[in-house]
Amino acid sequence: MNKAQKAMLEMREMDELASMSSFVHRMSPLSKLMMTIVYIAVTASFNRYDLTGLVFMVIFPVILYQMSYVPVSTCFIKLRGILPLILAVGILNPFFDRATVMKIGSLEISGGVISMITLMMKGVFSLMFSFLLMATTRIDELCQGLRKIHFPRAITSLLLLTYRYSSVLLREVSNMTDAYHLRAPGQKGIHISAWGTFLGQLLLRTMDRGDSLYNAMVIRGFSGEFLYAGNKEYIRCSMIMAIIVCGLMILSRFYNIPAIIAGVFIK
Amino acid sequence: MHMADALLAPGTAAVMYAASAAAAGISIAKLRKEEKLGLEPTAKRLPTMAVAAALVFAGQMINYTIPGTGSSGHLCGGMMLSALLGPYAGFLSMITVLLIQCLFFADGGLMALGANVWNMAFYGCFIGYFLIYRPIMKSSWFAKKGTNAATRIKIVLASVIGCIVTLQLGAASVAVETAVSGITSLPFGAFLGLMLPIHLAIGLIEGLITSAVLLFVYETRPELIKEAQQGEEVKNRFSLKTTLIILAVVAIIVGGGLSLYASSNPDGLEWALFGNADEGYSENMGLDEEDFGISSEIADKAQGIQDSTSFLPDYAFAGDEENPAGTTVSGIVGSAMVAVLAVIVCFVGGFFRKKAKAASQQT
Amino acid sequence: MIRFIDVSYSYPGGKPVLRNINFSVSEGERIGLIGANGAGKSTLMKAALGLIEAEGIILIGGTAVKKDSLSRIRQLAGFVLQDPENQMFMPRVIDDMVFGPVNYGMTREAAEKEADQILEKLGIPFLRNRYNHKISGGEKRMASIATVLMMDPKVIFMDEPSSSLDPKNRRMLINTLNGLENTLVIASHDLDMILQTCSRVILIDGGEIAADGKAFDILRDRALLESHRLELPLSLQTI
Repeated sequence: MNKAQKAMLEMREMDELASMSSFVHRMSPLSKLMMTIVYIAVTASFNRYDLTGLVFMVIFPVILYQMSYVPVSTCFIKLRGILPLILAVGILNPFFDRATVMKIGSLEISGGVISMITLMMKGVFSLMFSFLLMATTRIDELCQGLRKIHFPRAITSLLLLTYRYSSVLLREVSNMTDAYHLRAPGQKGIHISAWGTFLGQLLLRTMDRGDSLYNAMVIRGFSGEFLYAGNKEYIRCSMIMAIIVCGLMILSRFYNIPAIIAGVFIK
Repeated sequence: MHMADALLAPGTAAVMYAASAAAAGISIAKLRKEEKLGLEPTAKRLPTMAVAAALVFAGQMINYTIPGTGSSGHLCGGMMLSALLGPYAGFLSMITVLLIQCLFFADGGLMALGANVWNMAFYGCFIGYFLIYRPIMKSSWFAKKGTNAATRIKIVLASVIGCIVTLQLGAASVAVETAVSGITSLPFGAFLGLMLPIHLAIGLIEGLITSAVLLFVYETRPELIKEAQQGEEVKNRFSLKTTLIILAVVAIIVGGGLSLYASSNPDGLEWALFGNADEGYSENMGLDEEDFGISSEIADKAQGIQDSTSFLPDYAFAGDEENPAGTTVSGIVGSAMVAVLAVIVCFVGGFFRKKAKAASQQT
Repeated sequence: MIRFIDVSYSYPGGKPVLRNINFSVSEGERIGLIGANGAGKSTLMKAALGLIEAEGIILIGGTAVKKDSLSRIRQLAGFVLQDPENQMFMPRVIDDMVFGPVNYGMTREAAEKEADQILEKLGIPFLRNRYNHKISGGEKRMASIATVLMMDPKVIFMDEPSSSLDPKNRRMLINTLNGLENTLVIASHDLDMILQTCSRVILIDGGEIAADGKAFDILRDRALLESHRLELPLSLQTI
């Protein structure tokens, strides 16, 4: 399977997750977007040595995954997109920050190790939450929501159309790649002699497609704004619920809840 | 070069969002203005912009073999889109490419989107186009070799230089944004030294791929490469003045925003740039750290803003500097309890999910 | 319903594609538009829809195709593109179906109700909430016809509607076309399908009308077809 095909499958999987039905799926897109932004901001704002405070943040996505019936494991494949840079930054931390900040028995743990761990956790946590947003919200719902808060329509319309055509072009790229490799066995990628023509051919065809697409749109009266078919009933108080959840997230930023919980038991 | 949410502090992310949003706003306004001038309605451009964005997105799945090595290169696309669609439409298309990557493939985080748009789309579409691509294409270089050959050389030159420069800028921005965020202990210089050489190679390859594609387009459909059209320059729509104004506005937003943010952050840019004060870097460089931002009036204001919004990482919050890891026994025990709780939630959820599935299968 | 009076068109700076086209079509007629590749079939349809500006006079339902009448023309005439992929630009079938009517001022609820009726009529109600990129080629074709029917056009132009359909889907398409009351103009190389759906055929070659008459007469005329780079429909070939 080539890369384009894998990407197609991945997009398809997201579609299927987003088309399911659950409590979280029925929350309004804007409320979910708000929760996501607050969650990521809160998570990212933790001090890089504040390991125990950060740990608590895992509870939010874990509970919401269960409520939305989205298996937690599905999101981990997406880690590969952000991992290289996080690893590059994180792994070097222990070498530059050697001051001991913590002792477990005789084991001394340096600040660099702690900050490496928090960095990884922040990466995984924020990915979990933004994956949840897209796994429970269809792209058209999201665009519709964004339009409600007057997000520029040039971008929402563009996003919607691009989303629609990325699967078409992925299929084209996938077919072309297969066709290329069938006649060029043993080559790992596109040879330099075909660098321009391979993508160039597709590009010309794509520009023509843009033209006929426009034709199809104006014939049906397109004037710049997409109107969405709204047949989904959202939970009415989803915004209020989202605000409550956001409040909890912010609270857990200011109070080290793990320490408080444990403090009750250890005295 | 996609940045993850974890690498940015919310304040830095917000500044980058503001800068990218300003550039996007200018682009949309420009397209609207062109529509009013009767050049081309935005509605007509939209489908082409969308399919071109989808093309760039899909084109990134192609592996290009790099001659002489076993590895392969990829396309990023900012320069190509602005050469084909113009900088403003190209920038908006590039934003959608990054949005699709972010939303469906988690390439770059949602909060880091502003920074990613800046690092990958802004430089490629605006700096690359206005300061490199267009000046080279409009120049009379190589005129002796004949129009056709000159254009071909100029396309290669513009694409390669453009891609290298814009990728270097992007990579440097990644390092700056990370340092300003105070997320890592990695010194700014080391990070920069890691990022720049890698992206020099990537930029070169991308430039070659871009030039190959543009050359092909120039040969088969020269009308698509507007800058290569001779003589009939309609009117300089994107004047140097507008360019400079755009650059100035965004530079103020980014520079101002980042320095405001950095000055109130103890692990901020000055730490990154001047090293750790303990090691005497700032003294060596003849700079007094106290005078650099922290005590300035703007910084006080920023501190005020920060106190009132109180969302940015500061040592006053949960972890205090004396005991940064919250290394109390209760902290560790509490963390363990949270972990156990998370596992329990998963099991309980799985149990109910199976039950719901069984119920739905029965009906 | 459709009238072409001395219509000509040439691409900017290029050779003429249409030369003095004259014909008229009355209401409810089904016209097969045939001709070899590059004969000018698609250009003729684009001119009728006002997608390109041709010289001469084109009337659709009594309205002249001009820049200021385009919105009216596009309510009167629908266009089914050769590649349904280009026509279905919204995420789901239902989004695509309501796209046109809502642009022309219908409420979304009314449009969705209308869409349900049309899906029912075409026998594809199961496609309603499906994603456009996840349905099969045959389903895409039926759905793209449904999106055009939503506009309730008097005339429907179709570009190669039977291309890349399997025999069963092709049969279904023919039945659907025969069940429509709208005036139809079908451009196709599938002469057998033309024979089964159209009463009249217009043969174009080199941008000119080479023949215009009853479908059965023209499609049976081996000499005429072969002189214009076409062949007899399979069903009329004697083995």
